[in-house]
Amino acid sequence: MTALRLALRADDRPILIAGASIVLILLAGTAYTMATQGTATLLSPNYLLQQLQVGAFLGIVSAGMMVVILLGHIDLSVSWTLTAAAMMATAVGGPWAIPVGVGVGLAAGLANGLGVGYLRVPSMIFTLGMDAVLRGLMVAHTGGFAPQTAATDLMRALGAERTAGVPNALFVWAAVSVLIVLVLKRTVLGRAIYAIGNREQAAYLSGMPTRRVILAAFMISGACAGLAGVLLAGYSTKAYQGMGVPYVLPAIAAVVIGGANILGGSGRYAGTVVGVVLIVLLNSVLSIMQMPEAGRQIIYGAVIIAMLLAYRGGKLAHT
Amino acid sequence: MPDPIADPFLTLSGVTKRYGGVRALEGVDFACSRGKIHAILGENGAGKSTLIKIMSGVVAPDEGVMRVERREVSFASPAEANGAGVVCIFQELSLLPDLSVADNICVSTPPRRFGLIDKGAQRRRAEELLAAIGCEDVNPRSRVRDLPLSRRQMVEIAKALGKNPKLLILDEATSALTSADVERVYDVLGRLRRQDVAILYISHRMHEIEALADVASVFRNGRHIETFAKGARSNAAIVQMMIGREISSQYPPKPERPRPAPMLEVRGLSWEGRLRDISLDVGAGEIVGLGGLDGQGQKELLLALFGVLRGVKGEIRVGGKAVSPRSPADAKAADVGIALVPEDRKTEGLMLPMTVAENLAAASLGRFASGPFIDRKAEDIAVGEAIRELQIKVGSPEDPVWTLSGGNQQKVVIAKWLMTKPRVILLNDPTRGIDVGTKQEIYRLLRRMADEGAAILFYSTDYDELIGCCDRVAILYDGAVVRELEGAAITETAIVASSLNIDAEAPAHV
Repeated sequence: MTALRLALRADDRPILIAGASIVLILLAGTAYTMATQGTATLLSPNYLLQQLQVGAFLGIVSAGMMVVILLGHIDLSVSWTLTAAAMMATAVGGPWAIPVGVGVGLAAGLANGLGVGYLRVPSMIFTLGMDAVLRGLMVAHTGGFAPQTAATDLMRALGAERTAGVPNALFVWAAVSVLIVLVLKRTVLGRAIYAIGNREQAAYLSGMPTRRVILAAFMISGACAGLAGVLLAGYSTKAYQGMGVPYVLPAIAAVVIGGANILGGSGRYAGTVVGVVLIVLLNSVLSIMQMPEAGRQIIYGAVIIAMLLAYRGGKLAHT
Repeated sequence: MPDPIADPFLTLSGVTKRYGGVRALEGVDFACSRGKIHAILGENGAGKSTLIKIMSGVVAPDEGVMRVERREVSFASPAEANGAGVVCIFQELSLLPDLSVADNICVSTPPRRFGLIDKGAQRRRAEELLAAIGCEDVNPRSRVRDLPLSRRQMVEIAKALGKNPKLLILDEATSALTSADVERVYDVLGRLRRQDVAILYISHRMHEIEALADVASVFRNGRHIETFAKGARSNAAIVQMMIGREISSQYPPKPERPRPAPMLEVRGLSWEGRLRDISLDVGAGEIVGLGGLDGQGQKELLLALFGVLRGVKGEIRVGGKAVSPRSPADAKAADVGIALVPEDRKTEGLMLPMTVAENLAAASLGRFASGPFIDRKAEDIAVGEAIRELQIKVGSPEDPVWTLSGGNQQKVVIAKWLMTKPRVILLNDPTRGIDVGTKQEIYRLLRRMADEGAAILFYSTDYDELIGCCDRVAILYDGAVVRELEGAAITETAIVASSLNIDAEAPAHV
């Protein structure tokens, strides 16, 4: 957390606001548990680590989603890419389970990238179509039932077990994060992603290989979703229908709450991490408060909208 | 000397405006009156844009008072300014490309019947307004996107006139126009002057200001330097007032020498009927101009050479080697070495929210890469060199590029391409909307790049520039080269005559 704080700059208003909101959510939840149970459950390291473990799956999906959003595109296929990767990984089993899972993600990303980058189909439509195709393939594969295959030991170790008290999934999320930050900040590809997100025409006329960059970004997103699927299958010991569906919209929300422009071109990776933590904690605190589902949905949506309005307050009109 | 501004329509007193730490306007007192065409002169960054943004309600001043007809006003929006009779035609076109011409002209107050937009009345109104500026040829039903830039600018003018302005502000409104359209705009402005409209006119073309203005005001570094009546100051004095220093000759001297060996050879280039069998040579060290009326294929020729267009037929050779670039990435590759400074720096040349450094490095990232990674040190050094070499005025290379003035933004676009060490440099109207001082720097830069061995192909809508800068000029008409002028034969008469594809030497029959 200190490294994260050091990386903050004064002008990173969204990250500061989201960080402050996380503290507020923790305080509100703690006040509630103190009043009802007399304990500060939310502040115990064990609770926090458990939340981060759950957050790791969303975090990895969001990392890939952010790369695509920075381009000014979106990847709505992550739900069934994640599911398909998990199902294929458990179906293959053995040492190839994880490479196959990530490979399924890469393949889905390749198809998305070809459709968006080369055929110029709007990403919202193409990835939605890809999502439906993957869903159909998985229903065909399983006959519509929960697959009988189980996660391999390695998948379980990565998704569910801990090393020195820290969930292994967190290490994977950290490794993915380091890779994404390297790509975005240090590589030609990362610079091209921001350039295309800002103005694709100018990037193209600067001689950047725009189509290849779009392809690469969607493959990163697919690979992240595939990896998250593998870990989630390990966490739940098996793959199941629609296991990725609850991740699409929260992943987009996390990226946007982190301050990235949904139209592309700007945003820092640290923001996405903060956005993931905020979403996971908010969900958890609302369920601890035994809020009925309807109320949870309303508060969850309202918080996202309120945060975006708060960010906009930082910019003057007419800029 | 009598006060050139008697009985003002709009006055500003002590107006100051800051953006962050930058003072865009500083204690400006200014007035303009009805029935006069009032030119505003100044380099980019002199505060002209901020001045008109304040008058037209786009931004509010930090200090000072604005009065319209002696009544104090503060406009919260352009709509309020329009209500008070102040209408502005901005440099950046404000049209909605996917709506029809009629929709655009009537966009703020469409004629209504039973609460719904009356399409018929709207079309008639658009037709009237277009006819009033001599643009009967523009169909109110056509989509704005399908019109060439110069027609769009005329639609913009029609739209402004539709708001019945008492004060009409034109910001570089003629920079995209063909000379025939410029004449029409002059006529319209003359008529509005007789109808007692106050007109503020911003242009970087001195001869336009000479032809039009009754009064002129000079701005420099956010301050109002002087306002004087037409003819009260010499051109040289005005230019000196604008730049605050003496300027030598406007164009760098052209070298006297035999024509060099060709670096760029084009043979039989054709594309979709818009380019017809074009053959052209540009020597190493030569500046060749592309002239002609707007829209005769000049832009398409540059784009074809740069690999942007699909289905180009014909042969292109660079340094004697046949090339067929299929994308800008191909064209800039080291063994080809073609660079293009595009037409519109804001949408094609720059990623505006990104930093100066990122924009400068955008075309030459491959040079700073080791494997997939960018060598930040090498990048910083190259960026620093480019900024120094082109004297780009910038606080820090990490500032977003939109914070620079127009002239400095254009220098960033040019510098970005120089960093790729190109052998052939294509430029599409690189001095459009740029101040005199920066223009001269760009002319000198072009000549220096040529002297260092680059072949330069340069499209300009400004005849002066073609005459002053180019060793040779190829005139395009309907997608074909109709004439090549060289040396002393490059004259305004010859360019105009060839542009219209008429023979200037033949005796006139009319």
